[in-house]
Amino acid sequence: MEMEMSQASIDSDQRKFALPVDSEHKATEFRLFSVAAPHMRAFHLSWISFFACFVSTFAAPPLLPIIRDNLNLTATDIGNAGIAAVSGAVFARIAMGTACDLFGPRLASASLILITTPAVYCSAIINSPVSFLLVRFFTGFSIATFVSTQFWMSSMFSANVVGTANGVSGGWGNLGGGATQLIMPLVFSLIRNIGATKFTAWRIAFFIPALFQTLSAYAVFFLGQDMPDGNFSRLQKSGDKHKDNFNKIFRNAITNYRGWILLLTYGYCFGVELTVDNIIAQYFYDRFNVNLHTAGIIAASFGLANIFSRPGGGFLSDIVAKRFGMRGRLWTLWIVQTLGGLFCILLGKVGSLSASISVMIVFSVFVQAACGLTFGVVPFVSRRSLGIISGMTGGGGNVGAVLTQVIFFRGSRYSTETGITLMGVMIICCTLPLFFIYFPQWGGMFCGPSSEGTTEENYYMSEWNSTEKDRGFHQASLKFADNSRSERGKKVDSAPSPSNGILPTYA
Amino acid sequence: MEFRGLFLPSLLLFSCLTATCYGMVTFSSLHRTLVVTASPTPGQVLKAGEDQITVTWSFNQTFQAGTDSTYKTVELKLCYPPISQVDRAWRKTVDDLKKDKTCQFKIVAKPYSSSDNSCTWTVERDIPSATYFVRAYAYNSDNVEVAYGQTTDSQKATNLFEVQAITGRHVSLDIASVCFSAFSILSLFGFFFMEKRKTRASQQK
Repeated sequence: MEMEMSQASIDSDQRKFALPVDSEHKATEFRLFSVAAPHMRAFHLSWISFFACFVSTFAAPPLLPIIRDNLNLTATDIGNAGIAAVSGAVFARIAMGTACDLFGPRLASASLILITTPAVYCSAIINSPVSFLLVRFFTGFSIATFVSTQFWMSSMFSANVVGTANGVSGGWGNLGGGATQLIMPLVFSLIRNIGATKFTAWRIAFFIPALFQTLSAYAVFFLGQDMPDGNFSRLQKSGDKHKDNFNKIFRNAITNYRGWILLLTYGYCFGVELTVDNIIAQYFYDRFNVNLHTAGIIAASFGLANIFSRPGGGFLSDIVAKRFGMRGRLWTLWIVQTLGGLFCILLGKVGSLSASISVMIVFSVFVQAACGLTFGVVPFVSRRSLGIISGMTGGGGNVGAVLTQVIFFRGSRYSTETGITLMGVMIICCTLPLFFIYFPQWGGMFCGPSSEGTTEENYYMSEWNSTEKDRGFHQASLKFADNSRSERGKKVDSAPSPSNGILPTYA
Repeated sequence: MEFRGLFLPSLLLFSCLTATCYGMVTFSSLHRTLVVTASPTPGQVLKAGEDQITVTWSFNQTFQAGTDSTYKTVELKLCYPPISQVDRAWRKTVDDLKKDKTCQFKIVAKPYSSSDNSCTWTVERDIPSATYFVRAYAYNSDNVEVAYGQTTDSQKATNLFEVQAITGRHVSLDIASVCFSAFSILSLFGFFFMEKRKTRASQQK
């Protein structure tokens, strides 16, 4: 056996990993409390850096009562800046997906974080509504690190735990949106106690998220590693990894209709989450006359549900996949997101404070779980264009947030409660296209796998042409296809398709 | 048991009633019995942290003497006229004084006397840029508003002055944010350079 190994494979096979790995050296187990390199260390670096970016992006809303007086902002200025904060990331996310495919998640995310930190530092010296809009716009680019987070986790964890890894890293990063509602007022009051005036203290406070962001970029660069076997640049040079052609992976990604559907459905779970982060404090403040401090705590509790809800979604996706495979993942996503839409409609309808808070918390759990469930499906859409598909889906989240805020929450066309109800209707409608996602090797929500006997190899090999295969570029896809057989599920493997839309529960 | 069953709700009801008695004071129910004047001329721009306002107030003698017998204290406040409230719901005028956000900045509170009151106040550094007027509330011994007076007319459109806020910026703050920004960008180039060199090194091995 050992004699047969080529020099190159000895080099990579002799590596020892702290976690059990599959043939691609991706971890098949997820140990939350371990920091072992490279798998679990990449996990912790990715969620912490993403968390830092979220804290910076949503640092302004909790301090708005002071900022709006200092910069003489109107409600329209604040609304526009809120939209600007989430719209920058639409394109940044797609670009980020490409950068991950070409340079690897480590260098891509460290660069994006460092490029956006000047905007956070400059928040301390802005003096007009226009500059406020601009810093929020450019700071907002940083949440595109979400894409590198998901790409990194998909490169580090095997199919059976990838949903969990994506869910926890994404969810704990989004947690920053809630944490910042508690952190920024605290930092602000500390600086005031030291002796700065109100209008200077909020400016100094912005140095905290900015420094945190810079440090996280350093940590990612020096401690992180792109793939289980090394960094992108080294693997590309040594020939272990093929340096892919951008035009090909881009065309491959945008011609895959599954990516577009996931873009739409993610727009109405993550997009809704971003929207709610921007409006919920003001909603409670205006409708129920709670003070700003209480409104901030309620708003924070929406974001903080991410500590378990989004990871829970990813975990749930992996659990159902064990039994029902890909079809189970799709069904669970649809059910959870539709329920989220129903609770959203209810949130706009209830009129008492305590009922609103409880409905909001249930709503947040379902919406965030749906986000986690989406990224249980995304890694299987494409192997070759994983980065761009992740980026498209992630960008869809921001598109959803921009559209929702422009349609329902700007100006006085709708009251906020009507806007929330209509947003719920929109969630349910935009989740329906999930019915059309169909994988020939595993089936879709209503149909079983293709009768022509398409296999995982057929599906992922179709992304490469014959010359590329001759040169062996498709090896990674081949391994991935083999490892993704688990998506057939235990119960539905080679079973005939059920005629109606119920989950196949027969043995 | 039955007595307690009745007692609790009636106690609650009673406390609710007293709460509305004292809790809900509407601005429209107050009489304008105070005459208030402030030193700024209409349209004057005051610099926060530097310029001063002198406010004088007295009882309007056209009202019956003794109307002010319940007045215990007077509080002067800096208030937003409608022109400063446009598209800013957080400065909204509400008739219920508990929810009213017109007057957010306290100038001074003094025991009431019917004439010869004056006070000089430096515009504080946390006052935002906006147009303002001054309003005085008279409170009774239960600390409930019973009368008012203001420097503007009832439409809150005349005799207004402006405050120009401090920017809150400092040279040191500017320097710090520029330096840190430059540091981030330089680190980025450093990272690219190190990555290139590392790749070359591993290739030569």
